[in-house]
Order: sequence, then structure tokens, then C-alpha cells
Amino acid sequence: MSEYSFDSAADEVSNSMHPGADANGSRWRRAGSVALGGALVAFGLRRRSLGGTAIALVGGFLTYRSLSGYLTDAGGTEPVERSITIGESPDELSDLARDPETLERIVGHFAEVSEIDDDRSRWSAGGPLARELSWEMRIAVDEPGERLRWETVADDSSGALFDSWSLSFDEAPGDRGTEVTLEVRFDPPGGTAGSAAVERLDVVPESLIGTALDRFKSLAETGQIPTTENRPSERGRGDFL
Amino acid sequence: MQALTWHGEKDVRISEVPRPEIVEPTDAIVEITATAICGSDLHLYNDRMPGMREGDVLGHEPMGEVIEVGDEVESLEPGDRVVVPFTISCGSCWFCEEDLYSLCDNSNPNAEMARKMMGQSPAGLFGYSHLLGGYAGGQAEYLRVPYADVGPIKIESDIPDEQVLFLSDIFPTGYMAAENADIEPEDTVAVWGCGPVGQFAIQSAWMLGANEVVAIDRVPERLEMASQHGDATTINYEHADVYDRLMELTGGRGPDRCIDAVGTEAHGTGLDGISDRVKEGAKLQDDRPYVLREAIKCCRKGGTLSVPGVYLGRANIPFGPLMNKALTVKTGQTHMQRYLDPLLGKIEEGEIDPSFIISHQVGLEDGPEMYQTFNDKEDDCIKVVMTP
Ligand SMILES: [Zn+2]
Ligand SMILES: [Zn+2]
Repeated sequence: MSEYSFDSAADEVSNSMHPGADANGSRWRRAGSVALGGALVAFGLRRRSLGGTAIALVGGFLTYRSLSGYLTDAGGTEPVERSITIGESPDELSDLARDPETLERIVGHFAEVSEIDDDRSRWSAGGPLARELSWEMRIAVDEPGERLRWETVADDSSGALFDSWSLSFDEAPGDRGTEVTLEVRFDPPGGTAGSAAVERLDVVPESLIGTALDRFKSLAETGQIPTTENRPSERGRGDFL
Repeated sequence: MQALTWHGEKDVRISEVPRPEIVEPTDAIVEITATAICGSDLHLYNDRMPGMREGDVLGHEPMGEVIEVGDEVESLEPGDRVVVPFTISCGSCWFCEEDLYSLCDNSNPNAEMARKMMGQSPAGLFGYSHLLGGYAGGQAEYLRVPYADVGPIKIESDIPDEQVLFLSDIFPTGYMAAENADIEPEDTVAVWGCGPVGQFAIQSAWMLGANEVVAIDRVPERLEMASQHGDATTINYEHADVYDRLMELTGGRGPDRCIDAVGTEAHGTGLDGISDRVKEGAKLQDDRPYVLREAIKCCRKGGTLSVPGVYLGRANIPFGPLMNKALTVKTGQTHMQRYLDPLLGKIEEGEIDPSFIISHQVGLEDGPEMYQTFNDKEDDCIKVVMTP
């Protein structure tokens, strides 16, 4: 049996400040570490509803952005990118990712997705923010076995959390399957949703994306996403008590 | 149902909690008939492990009877008697396919958190914090077992619970520790720590062909057990200098294979031990790596250091001697599924009866008291088995 410690997070913070790391990347990592340390502490003390988690995710991003002034000259945000290796072929994985039901399941930890038609879907952040953060995305690039890209429909009246959500599929060396990269361009509104969520610096986009990839991998490799739903504890039954 | 729950430092309670249910079609529900307290549960008891929440159900060494299975479970059915290993493994990822079950990629729902701590996430575990999955544990009347076709081993003979229960963790863990030591026929194997894992490491070292086994501890009844049941030469480190004694026993070469079955809760003696406690108090290190340091110092040049003992985070160890003496270090949580069948075979053939380790058998409701007894090493307590 083995165990882990909060202090490693502190290590990561200093690693990310190592000279030579690119400035933007290191800032993201630093924010990620600090925020995640906070999240773990919070986790040890209490756990919110799924909706609350979503607020926290959005809040974390908004707070981070407002604190760091993380805007490029063009006024947009840098995309956040993460990769994972999955033991299936690029074709199988892009087919799976293209299925709207898959999308619903892999982003289920922070958003609800419903299919509008074959190319379009409506996304909303979970919980109370759903009313404020709801947006339409459509498939802009669809190259089976290579790339899939969803873009936010521009004239949507409600707020969007992302500008784009892109997956690329590259064969991994040996028999390890496929390297899947998820790149997301975040662009949440700074207005009402921002102020509602802004106090909750808990989790940052990197974590949100990392978990989405974990969920995609588990679904592809095992047909299910690991869960502790209904877990008994003295607090009652379920994940979010 | 009744379960033992965690409420903070030195606070384990017997609680009424909801019964687990089938969530995924690959789940099984097991009615627990025997469940043990593990040395690594003491890290939870002493609140040294982050990611626990008040009211979490403890326990990762259970066995019992399957009472319900999900639609996709093929190898088990209600009525089967099973031992449930402490690691949760999906059976489908690259690591599971390579027999590296404790490194499963898919069984920790909180992998992102573990990745932040370690770079990558190992497998989820029963009853061992939200960092390692947040799964409810088996010190309870019932347990939900995910990926039920992958973990539990069916016991088809009528061999008693006490003889097979330790397949859930400590017997395979001690065995893997000995296997990781790469024992060869002329080897002297030194085992630090004569708790349950150490006892099984000692017995496994003989099974794997050791020439001599030396056991190091300070608790007389543990040393007695290592000598009686494990046929080991013993060193009580409170009465002898471990380095001097090991050099004496090996003609100055040092033991060829060293096993640290103690881990983070080591009680060092002298200045080193005090310095560890100070650094830990000052948050300069997470662990007390006294045994690791001593094993590096004592180990024969070119020897092997096997570490089944649990470490938490950063440990201050002499890397220079490790490198200059060309030691090999092998470690890791136990790849349980590798060992279940072969070790069950050894038990059924009478090669080993693991029940020798049991010092206390009580009802689940006595769990809170037993945690304290075990933690304080009172009443000659070596291993506690509870019956719900
Ligand atoms: Zn254990
Ligand atoms: Zn696996």
C-alpha cells in the first residue's frame, strides 16, 4: 500500500518556476498546482454537489484569468492542451469521440451536452450556472482517425465556456494504441457568471481537461467510467456528499 | 449496515451506513465474512494520509460471499466465496495487460488529483482515501467490488477464512517483496520489520530459495514469531547495532538482499531517528526513512533493496552510497492478481498456513478498540481479524 502527500504539490510549483520553462506554460502549471492543492484541502474538508463542482471549475478559471491578466495581445486566451495514450486504434477512437453520447459522458463531470443534430450540440455548465453558461457547438473539422474539432456558434445569446474543443489522434509507438490530444480554447464570459463564481478558486482548466481525457480513455478501454456513485459512508450514500 | 468509519486522528467508529448497491454492470456485492486491519490502515488512523473525509468506510483486506452481481459479470455468481484483493484493476488497460495491476490506468476516478501529486496515477484502492479512488472499504458488512471479473479470487474448497483471508493483501505483498529482492541460492536476505508483511516476506524468501534470512525488529513477540514460524536469525535493534550484527553474520559482505517492510512509520534510534522526527515535525520531509538509510548502508555491494514498506512523499535518503554501491531498488504496490492463484495453490497444498499471523479475532464492533491496541502494539497484537 502506498500514500501521497500534499507537499509534492509544492514541489511541482517550484518545478514549474524552473528557468527555461516557457513563461505562459509555467504560469498555467503554477496556477494549476496552487489551485489543485486548494482543491485537495477543500476535498478533505467537504464536498459539494456536482453543480457546485462546476461552479468551482468555472470560478477557478475566471479567478485565475482575472488575477493573472492571462490574455494575449489579440485579447483571446491561449489554448489548454493535454494528451493521453489509449489502447485502441485512431479510427475506433475518432468514431467513439464522434458519438454524441460519448461526449455527454466524458464531460459529465462539469457539463451537460445534448444533441441538436448530427453536427450540433448544446452544452451547459452543470448546476446553477447552467442558466448563465449554455452554448451551442458544432463540428467544424471531422477527419476520421485524425482530427475532430467543435467550435462555438458565434451568435449564441448565452455565455460559452469554450471557443473550441479539438481532439487529434496519432498512432502511439509499439502496440500502445493512440496518442489522443485534447486542445481547448477557453473563453468564459467575465460578467455575471464570473462574479457569481469568482470566489471559488478550486480547479483550473488543465484539471478539467485531464479528467475529460481520463474519462474518454476509461470508456474506450473498459466501456465504463470508474465511479464511486452510491458509495456508502457515514455521510450517507453517493459521490458528492 | 455496520461499518468502521474514519473521523480523524485516532478516531475510528462503528457506524450505521447505507448498504452498497450495484452501480456498473461489472460490479459485484460481497457480504463480508472476515476482514482484517492492516499496518497501512495505521497511516490513516494516525492521520498521515491526505484525502480522507470524515465518515469514510475503512478497510482493504476483506473476504466473503457474493450476494449479487451486475449483468456483465461472467466469472462470479451469488453464493461464490471470494477473497477481494486491495487493489482495484480494470483488466483492460496496458498496465493490466502487462500484469502491472497496481498501476491500472482506469480504476481511479480521481486520477487527476493523484497525477498532480505523482505525475501519474496508480490504481484505485478500497478504503484508502479519495486520492486513491474514494472507494468505500471492506471493514463493513457489505462491499461493492468494481470490475468483479478481474479482482476477486474464488475459494472453492472449504478451507477456513483465516487461512485464505490474507491473500487480500499481506501474503502477496510479502511474497512480491521477496520476489523483488531477486533472491539467489547463496543469498542472505535481511528483512527490516516483522509485522505481517515482514513475516510473509521472511517465509517467501525461503520459498524463493534463500540461504539465510535475518529478521530485524524491536518487538519481542514479532521477533519470536520470525524465529519460530519463519526460521529467521533475529536482531533486536534496541539491543544490538544492526550494521555490526549484519556484518558479523555475513563475514563483512553485508546481506545480499535487503527488504524494507517498515516504511514511513519507522522508529529510528539515536541521532538519526531524532533527526527524522525533527525534520518531519518541521515539514522538511514527509517520511521517516530510517530503515531505508540503514538498509542502503548495510546492503552488499551490487545487492538489491526491495521496498514493500509504505512511503508518503519526499524522503531524505543517501543517494550517493546507493549509486556508488550499485544497488538495485525495486518497489511498488502489489500487483495482486499475479499472485492470487499461485499463492492460493501453496495454501491449499499445505506449504503455508497464513493464519499463524493472527493474534486477535473479534467482532466488527470491537474494531475501534482494536485499532488502538494494534497501533500501540499492546497485548502482543500482530494481526487483527474481524467478523461482521
Ligand atoms: Zn493492507
Ligand atoms: Zn487496468
